[in-house]
Amino acid sequence: MTTADLAHAAHADHGHDEPAEDPHFGKATGGKIAMWMFIAQDGMSFGGLLLAYGLLRFSSVDWPQPSDILGIPLTAFATFVLICSSLTMVMAVEGAKNRDQGALTKWLGLTIFGGLIFLGIQVYEYSALVHEGITFATSTWEGVPINDRFGSTFYAVTGFHGMHVFSGVVYLICILLKAMRGEYTQGGNSYSPVELVGLFWHFVDLVWILVFTFIYLL
Amino acid sequence: MNEPDLTTHRAIPMASDAAHAAGNDVDDHTSHVPTYVTIFLVLGFLTILEIFVPDIYSAEWNKTTKMLLLCLLAVVKATLVGLYFMHLKWERPWLKWIALMPAYMAVFTILLMLETVFRAPGA
Repeated sequence: MTTADLAHAAHADHGHDEPAEDPHFGKATGGKIAMWMFIAQDGMSFGGLLLAYGLLRFSSVDWPQPSDILGIPLTAFATFVLICSSLTMVMAVEGAKNRDQGALTKWLGLTIFGGLIFLGIQVYEYSALVHEGITFATSTWEGVPINDRFGSTFYAVTGFHGMHVFSGVVYLICILLKAMRGEYTQGGNSYSPVELVGLFWHFVDLVWILVFTFIYLL
Repeated sequence: MNEPDLTTHRAIPMASDAAHAAGNDVDDHTSHVPTYVTIFLVLGFLTILEIFVPDIYSAEWNKTTKMLLLCLLAVVKATLVGLYFMHLKWERPWLKWIALMPAYMAVFTILLMLETVFRAPGA
């Protein structure tokens, strides 16, 4: 790629022109490539946490069955809410691509609403578990001490994910505020920031699918 | 500045693969909405399946079946989200390789598990 190409690509990222064609990444913007690299690294962070969870759990002989303690139906509902929010997110991106500001703001708002419901369920779940004796440091269930690492690993993994959902909601609110000013419905590549927040949001959904299986269902 | 051509919308699921094969997602305004709704319904259905798997395979002797089924369902769901909602299906191979980086963790985990399974007794 020549210097002129790079300059054009950089301009395309900030402006509303379409990016230059790259032999390796096609018309993917620099922002999109950067977001994917961030997602890959963040995915490895989650991978490390889940790997540590697995090693701790399967090297213990007294690990409780998670489904006996954790509320599966409520968490399954939270999972479904997150999947719904992924659908509303792709609809928001479609709205931005089609220069439909009404659709964009509506679907972004619903995505934020889904994220807030998920966070509300997580806060409710945490308070119920702490009340029952499952804390970050020690774990008791129905008055009987259980493996302390159950609570530690549960809060570490789901808390790390919850912070991502919270960050995603804040990110989405920032995008929504700008979307309401019409910044992402000007045609060309102006919808790119909506696509980027969408990538992050879908990643949060994707990770939860794995967390739900490994922490709750297995 | 080029105005997007809104007249090229199509309502055929997954019909735009060729147009996207070169990572050409910027100026192609083909509607993916039917595809998204289909994927959403499949994800919802698989989530319902997941809830029933631990009940059906709750006995100790079929614990491995339960684990394998749940892992398979989770991987399928995550793959669907990555391919369709995150548009990986229509991206260039380089971006797909970047997205696959965390999968190395899964390979490492499988290697660790295999080591445990095949470890010599008393080792």
